[in-house]
Amino acid sequence: MMSLNLEPFRITRKEQMTGDIYLFRAEKAKAGKSKNKEKLSYQPGQFYQLNVPGLGEAPISVCSYADDYIEFNIRALGDVTDELIKLNVGDNLWVRGPYGTHYPMIDLHGKSLIIIGGGTGVAPLRGVIKYVEKYRAEFDRVHLLFGFKSPEEMLFKKDMELWNRIFDLRTTVDKAGADYKGKIGLITKLVDESGLDSKNKAVIICGPPVMIKFTIQSLEKMGFSHEQIYISHERRMKCGVGMCGHCMISGVYVCKDGPVFRYDQIKNLHE
Amino acid sequence: MGKVLDKKRLKEFLGKVSKGKELIAPVKRGTLRFEIININYFDDICLEGRPLFSIKKFFSPAKHDLLKLNLADKKKPFEEEKTRFKPRVIFGARLCDFNGLLRLDKLFNSKEYQDDYYKAARENTLLIGINCVPAPSKYCFCESMGLEKYYDLMLHDMGNKYYIEAGSPKGEALIMTLEDYDFVMPEIKCDKKLFRKDLTQYYDNPAWNSENDKCLSCGKCTSHCTTCLCFDVMDELEVDLKKGKRFKEWDSCQFLNFTLVAGGAIFRKDRLSRFKHRIYHKLQYFREKFGMDMCTGCGRCIEACPRLIDFTEVINKFR
Ligand SMILES: Cc1cc2nc3c(=O)[nH]c(=O)nc-3n(C[C@H](O)[C@H](O)[C@H](O)COP(=O)(O)OP(=O)(O)OC[C@H]3O[C@@H](n4cnc5c(N)ncnc54)[C@H](O)[C@@H]3O)c2cc1C
Ligand code: SF4
Ligand code: SF4
Ligand code: FES
Repeated sequence: MMSLNLEPFRITRKEQMTGDIYLFRAEKAKAGKSKNKEKLSYQPGQFYQLNVPGLGEAPISVCSYADDYIEFNIRALGDVTDELIKLNVGDNLWVRGPYGTHYPMIDLHGKSLIIIGGGTGVAPLRGVIKYVEKYRAEFDRVHLLFGFKSPEEMLFKKDMELWNRIFDLRTTVDKAGADYKGKIGLITKLVDESGLDSKNKAVIICGPPVMIKFTIQSLEKMGFSHEQIYISHERRMKCGVGMCGHCMISGVYVCKDGPVFRYDQIKNLHE
Repeated sequence: MGKVLDKKRLKEFLGKVSKGKELIAPVKRGTLRFEIININYFDDICLEGRPLFSIKKFFSPAKHDLLKLNLADKKKPFEEEKTRFKPRVIFGARLCDFNGLLRLDKLFNSKEYQDDYYKAARENTLLIGINCVPAPSKYCFCESMGLEKYYDLMLHDMGNKYYIEAGSPKGEALIMTLEDYDFVMPEIKCDKKLFRKDLTQYYDNPAWNSENDKCLSCGKCTSHCTTCLCFDVMDELEVDLKKGKRFKEWDSCQFLNFTLVAGGAIFRKDRLSRFKHRIYHKLQYFREKFGMDMCTGCGRCIEACPRLIDFTEVINKFR
């Protein structure tokens, strides 16, 4: 069918992140008895279509960087994702992919990175950060600016401890109880107050559309040009290969030409 | 130079070229539409007018099974539907229909990704057309669209005989034994015109509103369009909730939910943005990508529309 072959993966790890978000690790289910596992090759920013037989598929970004497993961070938000989060270690997960464009990591070597994420948008960015962890010497300073709705909604707390030590990590939450010690306020405020300049930098943003819009406005004021900014779009997707038409904006297929775009190349598109 | 065929011999000729194949032709039973017919019903074939529904359903059916589902089998819950394909002959379609296929090839049979059914249909279908002189509908405007002479065979009605030209080696082989005939295939002329132009600067032009205001978002324009093949993919289970299938089904960018994502966001909420999306895809975006318009000027979207919404009227105002 449409050269869209489903492959069986096996869940090898599952960790609850928040009330309705789980982090899964999946490995290729071993084909026959061969010991040499086929290496995976996916890049940060790409996505897979994850299947629940009888319900359908959901596009989910890779949130890791490794050649023997993939991690997916899944929020239960509807028919397919509600079932996906019920999967357990040992279960099969049928996927196809990877699809779409990725963050141009190699082109960014030598630069300083500003990685800005909002809510579940931090998940695909974790793939970027895992890449940076592996090739740390290739990058100059790395700034992570993350915003979440509340302290309870914060993702990847274990990773954050490490990132706080090796990178410049700043987080904020929209709302929190009186006993919360961290920053409270919108992600744009965090960006405005960051004091970062645009010199030799690349900015990677992932989050809800409004967050992306206002973050870019802040960056503009700080002197960043659109050529320095990479964003990731989310649209309804069915095929993932530029056939079904669902994800198209102004002739651009988000599934195939995206989801990762350099901002100057898509800023003037009409919905 | 082409060949000539006496009209009385058309049945025999079609019988020969469709031997061992399915014959598809326009048939008038109530409405005029393309159907698979037995050559014995040759007399039902009607070449007057062009069917309101294009031939696209023979390349990508309105509803088409992709996978068998078997939830009880945890190891292999999915099984691919094999594409079985009997070779076909399409007779009596028009230049706009065949040019539609050249557009759809870009999406469904590209170098990177192929739709198996579409590909099999393309490779196993002989295209025999009928020349549109005179133009079969007052809504036709293909003359403005720069169509290619794309077909295996094209027949031109000359009263008691057909003049036939081949457009491919396959077509040539079929008419080799027919009598030579010195003639030039007449060009198609349409009363209706579309003055094509770069639409970049017209996106916010108020001319869009008058036609759009009449729209019901019913999707007939896209379901009848020669080149619209956007689709949805769905799973469906039988009552035992174990066996089922995954199928694809035509969808329409004119529907509100076409861009709905989980959480409730809809990216083209107002009708106007959906109308413009359709027309810009046809006349601008596709050209930017593939160097040709995604419209063949068949006029079906206008004729099928319950409000007779005519996008050429909008575009022609931009002169
Ligand atoms: C490129 C990309 C990457 C994504 N990465 C992640 C991720 O890492 N983690 C995560 O939790 N979510 C991610 N999402 C969102 C996730 O795909 C949707 O939440 C999911 O498809 C909802 O499906 P559902 O069946 O649970 O919801 P329902 O509302 O029941 O959806 C029904 C159908 O609509 C379609 N659909 C609905 N929402 C979306 C959507 N947002 N995008 C595409 N198709 C949709 C799907 O085909 C789905 O089968 C991503 C979306 C895209 C486009
Ligand atoms: S057929 Fe006419 S009324 Fe229906 S969606 Fe298309 S333009 Fe609108
Ligand atoms: S847009 Fe209208 S005129 Fe153009 S190919 Fe489609 S149905 Fe025909
Ligand atoms: S998801 Fe089908 S075209 Fe992009």
